[in-house]
Amino acid sequence: MMPPPILVSAACVFILLLSGCNDAPGYPKTSAEVLRPQDQLSFDILYRQNCSACHGADGQNGAAIDLGNPEYQALVDDRSLRKWISGGMPGTQMPAFAISMGGTLTDSQIDAIVLGMRNTWSQRAVLGGRNAPPYAQDQKGDALRGKEQYNTDCASCHRASKQQVTSPDYLALVSDQALRSIIIAGRPDIGHPDWRGDKPGSPLSAQDVTDIVAYLGSSRSATPGQPYRRDR
Amino acid sequence: MHRIKEIYKWLEARLQLEGPLKDAALHPVPRNTASWWYVFGSAAFTLLFLQIVTGILLALVYVPSAGEAWSSLNVLNHQLELGWFLRAMHGWGSNFMVAVVLVHMAQVFMFGSYKYPRELTWVLGVFLLLMTLGMAFTGQVLRFDQDAYWGLGIGASITSRIPIVGGSLVHLLLGGPIIAGATLSRFFALHVFVVPGSMLLFASLHVWMVLKLGINEWPMPGRIVRRSTYLQEYHDLTHKEGAPFVPVAFWKDVIFSGAVIAAVAVCAFVFGPYGPSGQPDPNIVQTVPKPDFFFLWIYAALAYLPPSMETPFILIAPVIGIAILLGLPFYASEGEKSWYRRPVAVIVLCTVAISWGVLTHLATFTPWSPHMNAWSGDPVPPRYLHDATPLVRQGAVVFQSKQCRNCHAVGGVGGQRGPTLDSIATRMTEDQMIRQVLQGGGNMPAYGKNLPPPEVTALVTFLETLHPPNEPPAVDGSQKEVQTSQIVASSGSKK
Repeated sequence: MMPPPILVSAACVFILLLSGCNDAPGYPKTSAEVLRPQDQLSFDILYRQNCSACHGADGQNGAAIDLGNPEYQALVDDRSLRKWISGGMPGTQMPAFAISMGGTLTDSQIDAIVLGMRNTWSQRAVLGGRNAPPYAQDQKGDALRGKEQYNTDCASCHRASKQQVTSPDYLALVSDQALRSIIIAGRPDIGHPDWRGDKPGSPLSAQDVTDIVAYLGSSRSATPGQPYRRDR
Repeated sequence: MHRIKEIYKWLEARLQLEGPLKDAALHPVPRNTASWWYVFGSAAFTLLFLQIVTGILLALVYVPSAGEAWSSLNVLNHQLELGWFLRAMHGWGSNFMVAVVLVHMAQVFMFGSYKYPRELTWVLGVFLLLMTLGMAFTGQVLRFDQDAYWGLGIGASITSRIPIVGGSLVHLLLGGPIIAGATLSRFFALHVFVVPGSMLLFASLHVWMVLKLGINEWPMPGRIVRRSTYLQEYHDLTHKEGAPFVPVAFWKDVIFSGAVIAAVAVCAFVFGPYGPSGQPDPNIVQTVPKPDFFFLWIYAALAYLPPSMETPFILIAPVIGIAILLGLPFYASEGEKSWYRRPVAVIVLCTVAISWGVLTHLATFTPWSPHMNAWSGDPVPPRYLHDATPLVRQGAVVFQSKQCRNCHAVGGVGGQRGPTLDSIATRMTEDQMIRQVLQGGGNMPAYGKNLPPPEVTALVTFLETLHPPNEPPAVDGSQKEVQTSQIVASSGSKK
């Protein structure tokens, strides 16, 4: 056995070493749980807990629209983002997250998410000096013209049964605004071009986009989702 | 030096401790008990003292009031030099103590040490085990975080199920109708005065009896304990071929106790203190409270019991269990000590240990409990979406937004209450999935009223894609027949 003086001095050295040790592996981290849930304002944590399941871990490769797409961030305004997060997006699966609407997020948490998305994913001059069609629809759409436009600009990819977007089952689950956002901003994570890339050299005009959405809207069915349809 | 000797002589003339201490240290023990198997009792005793020392230091800072307990722990964690390490030592000391006490008990049981004349030593040991568990539970309450709050709530509701006196007992336990300041004061008194005081008394008696009755000899098959002859046999064993306790057996106790304390320190340094987790505020419902490690098995057992069995299990099983433990040395006070001749004892110990291990393991990931945040926090694995059609994508969104994920894991993440769905398409046809979603069944609720047809269609279309690449999805054999007959019928009608 070690003689007592050595033991005592070893213990002292151990304690001394420890006392400089706020980065010891066991030093308690300020864990997320210690905050009251409503006081959590970290974008990373809020996004991971509330948004990542549908919109993807880094704002891409999710099932729903890729919020990490800088073009989408350039397209959409803060007010709309806040509106969709708090109240949900009618006609889609996007649920309401504001406490006042039955969710769990406070207004300042929603602000933190909007600000965080801007800080993380916005890029300057992402639209390359070209004006994208506006986020919100500002004209009346012409479904007939939209059908022609669809056939020239979209059908080359969407004709294949695998990428069918004219199926009423699909259209029953997306709103016009959601369709419009994807047509304009694209989904780079899954290879969907933006409004400039559908037919290189001739970008879609605001009217074109509105017409295509009107055409898709006219393909909706009053009784979607019937089983055993073979067209989907 | 001379002076010190004088003082010692003066003290010894009055205290007269030298004789008894020498007797205790040099009392002969059977030579083969100087084994590494006999070190757990002394280690438990050492840990008790570690807990007392660290506990006293913690009590200097801890404020046992409902409003300040939680924040005083955060002060210890973050504002006082090495406060976190002190808390970690106490927390890990508690874990090690329960573990060492359990191992000690298992060893004593396996070695038949509870037999004549050591029945009372075992009985006191049973009470010491209960008190150790009581200390662990009351200690968890003093941590006064969300785990403590809800754990106490469950403790109170278990108590409330006792017939007739249940309500009054809860009132006594909580110091009122709700968990509040009075509750914490009560548990502080229990944890700091009542239980440790009794423990010290019981542990001292326990050790006293070990000294007086002698340490159990190494069990040999065929060496049978008989009341009439045992004492003489033991006397012969220790005096003819025995060895003095110090130093022949003692050094192993010292080394092992030292190693245990070192292990506590290493765990404390590496893993840190327990909590405190979130504030003990019942308004915060976004929490998944869990009991501490040594109560996880109860948590799992209660979760798996059918509701009708809960009350009988909670109220009757502990009584029977404790009665069996207390009755054991009186039922089997004579006979074989060796495990080679006690197959039932070996089977019982293995069964208890395996059941305990399985239940504890299950409670670490609670497969019975939905993960309430999975729907919004666990991304759909990108590999399932890479080549997906728009409808399949929408199906994946429905899968998340309708919270299917809370019970069904995909890609290894999500709830485990229902089956994992990574290869669901190989197990169920489209029709079967639609029926299951609409009508539920098994443990699953019916979602027919909550999901409109396009959502069901999209969802099932998504689920249809969940199969390994080399395994085709299940199909209904009759569908082909129906389609062929339709084609035949339509071509017939055209003619």
